[in-house]
Amino acid sequence: MAATPGNNFSGRLLNRLGEHSSLIDAATGEAILRSDLHRIIVGFGASLLSNGLNPRDRVLIGCTLSPSSSVAYLGAMYAGLVPIPMEEGVLIASISNLIKGTGARAVWTEKSLRFSATPETGVVILDGLPADRRTNELSPAPCEENDLAVLFATSGSTGTPRFVMVSHGNLIANTEAIIRSQGLSNDERAMLILPLSYCFGASVLHSHLYQGGGVVFDRRFMFPDKVLHAIDKYACTTFAGVPTVYNILLRRSNIRSIAMPTLRRFLQAGGQLAPQRIAEMRVAVPNPKFYVMYGQTEATARISCLEPEHLDEKLGSAGRPLDNLMVRIVDEDGKDLPAEEVGEIMLRGPSIALGYLNESEESVRVFNRGWLRTGDLGHLDAEGFIWIDGRKGTFLKMRGVRVSFEEVEAKVAAVPGVYECAAAAVPHPEVGEALALYIVPENGAGDIIDPVRRSLSINWTCESIQIVSEIPKTASGKVSRASLPAMASRTQ
Amino acid sequence: MQSVLARVQEVFHETFGTEPQLISLETTPSDMPAWDSVGHLDLASRLEQVFGISFDVDDLMGMENVREIVRIIDAKL
Repeated sequence: MAATPGNNFSGRLLNRLGEHSSLIDAATGEAILRSDLHRIIVGFGASLLSNGLNPRDRVLIGCTLSPSSSVAYLGAMYAGLVPIPMEEGVLIASISNLIKGTGARAVWTEKSLRFSATPETGVVILDGLPADRRTNELSPAPCEENDLAVLFATSGSTGTPRFVMVSHGNLIANTEAIIRSQGLSNDERAMLILPLSYCFGASVLHSHLYQGGGVVFDRRFMFPDKVLHAIDKYACTTFAGVPTVYNILLRRSNIRSIAMPTLRRFLQAGGQLAPQRIAEMRVAVPNPKFYVMYGQTEATARISCLEPEHLDEKLGSAGRPLDNLMVRIVDEDGKDLPAEEVGEIMLRGPSIALGYLNESEESVRVFNRGWLRTGDLGHLDAEGFIWIDGRKGTFLKMRGVRVSFEEVEAKVAAVPGVYECAAAAVPHPEVGEALALYIVPENGAGDIIDPVRRSLSINWTCESIQIVSEIPKTASGKVSRASLPAMASRTQ
Repeated sequence: MQSVLARVQEVFHETFGTEPQLISLETTPSDMPAWDSVGHLDLASRLEQVFGISFDVDDLMGMENVREIVRIIDAKL
């Protein structure tokens, strides 16, 4: 007899697995089928406890696009531990900082790995799934709604990531609202090419398993046709991608000729995909419905959804808030703005996360007495659809990774011959957003464009570098990012 | 005249910052974290410039390791 899962999200999810629940690795064909899935996840949770770990301990999970990282993630949560999903490469590169920053007591990777630095003593190093495949009677760890379920990183490659504390109640509320908004039935199978460490990727895993469906993982998206053929081979019903993914599919794949008759829906989130590209996707693959969504890790994952029946009429909108979220648009003093006026998007509801780990001041500012300040600028139209107009924040998103303007500006300002520098974001078809740099050279400086280009991180895409005579500032002396594009057009 | 491999190694260096001598015919994307789907497109467009050729979609799908990249480029020169 199955134990009552209570508020344990993973426990609830396991209780709802159905005949279509399986995890498949498209690259190898390996699969964990429905009959084994429950047992393997529970068995993993039990193995953590038998390794001396306790409920509430944090465990870093090195994620690859594979069934086993999902098992480790769900198994840890089932046993009451707090998984911290990180891309495996990021985990290996910054293991010491991550352990320090999160207080993790254990690190799990799929295969046994050599870390760049030896982790502190007392940290349990684990790999793979336990060989003991006997049924385990471990019950889901009892949880309150507000108990921490998972820590999601909001920044990937550089610096120390910031972690959002997501509760079991957050996951339950957001997952159930997503299922309703996408009309997921109990025979779904998602093709997942987004990592589990990214809240959008995790939300696809959660929603499909929670509804009794399954997930196929494919790490071969650099050869997009392989993924498209795998969608057909494994009869996937859902495909999820960020704008970059759809741009690559349209320009660099045979999406127009590879048949995917089982596909029911495309999900798109993670930044704005140009309306023209959405229209092209509709022509290229007309049968699946196209869902545009808006989300944030701070809101667990998804915030709003543009239903396919409104896609043509509201093309370019982020849709309406999920049915358990309230939205406000406010001016700089926090006063509500009427429809059509642009202000900051604020949200309230059961999927707004608990706050940032170890950042109480910033948590109070952003998670403002239950109202999440998204940092996104937008407006509502008369029918309540959200339109995103820009970002108030201080970062851009390249290749799905948040990069702060200040980090870029500090790097560029260190180049000899640069007097002052400002960075702005411009839309880019492949990386999402790219950098536009504005530079004031020192008097008498020679060619600085080349050295500036060379100073940038290899993971950054720089669309343009412009030499200007001054950087526009706000009254408080900060770079006025809103004025940068206008200034550039004056100088051209 | 430099071999195709040597020029490919240089393009890898420009694209991913990897030392040319670390790139062999057997190098695959799984050896290099930066060689992801976007990196693949960066790499392809730089190769197109350097060699004065253009890749079609099927070429991009076939470039699964350095050996295949060299073979595809050789066939176009």
